Amino acid sequence: MARSGILESPEVSLSEALDHPWLVVVHNDPVNLMSYVSMVFRRLFGWSRERAEQHMMEVHTKGRSVVWSGGKEQAELYVQQLHEFLLLATLEKSSG
Amino acid sequence: MIFELSKNGDPLFSRIHPLLAGLVHAGMEDPWEHYPEGSTRLLPPPGKEEELLEDWRDHVQPGLRRHFDSERAIVVADIAGMKQGKGRSPLWSLEIPNKHREAWLTTLNALRLALACEHCFTEEELSHKSSPDLSTGRGLALMQVNFYAFMQECLIQTLEQDRNIGE
Repeated sequence: MARSGILESPEVSLSEALDHPWLVVVHNDPVNLMSYVSMVFRRLFGWSRERAEQHMMEVHTKGRSVVWSGGKEQAELYVQQLHEFLLLATLEKSSG
Repeated sequence: MIFELSKNGDPLFSRIHPLLAGLVHAGMEDPWEHYPEGSTRLLPPPGKEEELLEDWRDHVQPGLRRHFDSERAIVVADIAGMKQGKGRSPLWSLEIPNKHREAWLTTLNALRLALACEHCFTEEELSHKSSPDLSTGRGLALMQVNFYAFMQECLIQTLEQDRNIGE
């Protein structure tokens, strides 16, 4: 699968990334199949079937699930990859 | 319509009724051309920050659009290769090479999302809790969305089987 469109983003120091991690959030939509969402999670994050299904169910029942947190650049890349799979994903700054 | 694996081990939809073959052929449609409002769902915003939105528009979305177009081109070629029985058996068959499964999943998903967004289908409608009115274009579009979901499930099943064998 082709991956394209690399974002240019300012460099973030490790300590800054750790202090203010960015969250990758997947939101519920009624169209994407549950089996498809689980498959994408397993493939993208290398998760077990159980973990992927747990997050998929969280998306389904709670409307959203945080699937990754960390530095902004990597978070942007994950959101981009989730968009390639047509999932509703956003980048949010952690409030914690 | 029957789903099985071909002699080559590729996903094979066979004995496809001409009515359903029409829906498969509709898989060639460019969502941006046919569903201009619905296709907005295919490039969702990545967040709320204005700077991020601008970056996304300039640097990411054009690449995503190219990716969807190239995946659709693979699907269009496979559909063009569909075979129809002769004589009294006008049923169609569609063999999808294993290496094209990802392109099919993406393309069917894009069409389902664009159709659902274009027709504002509710979760209840999409989860089969209400019967579609097949006398309307909207009802037929819902049938199309559900038919593509069936095809997606078949393809996901084969991908999962491959993954389980690989683990």
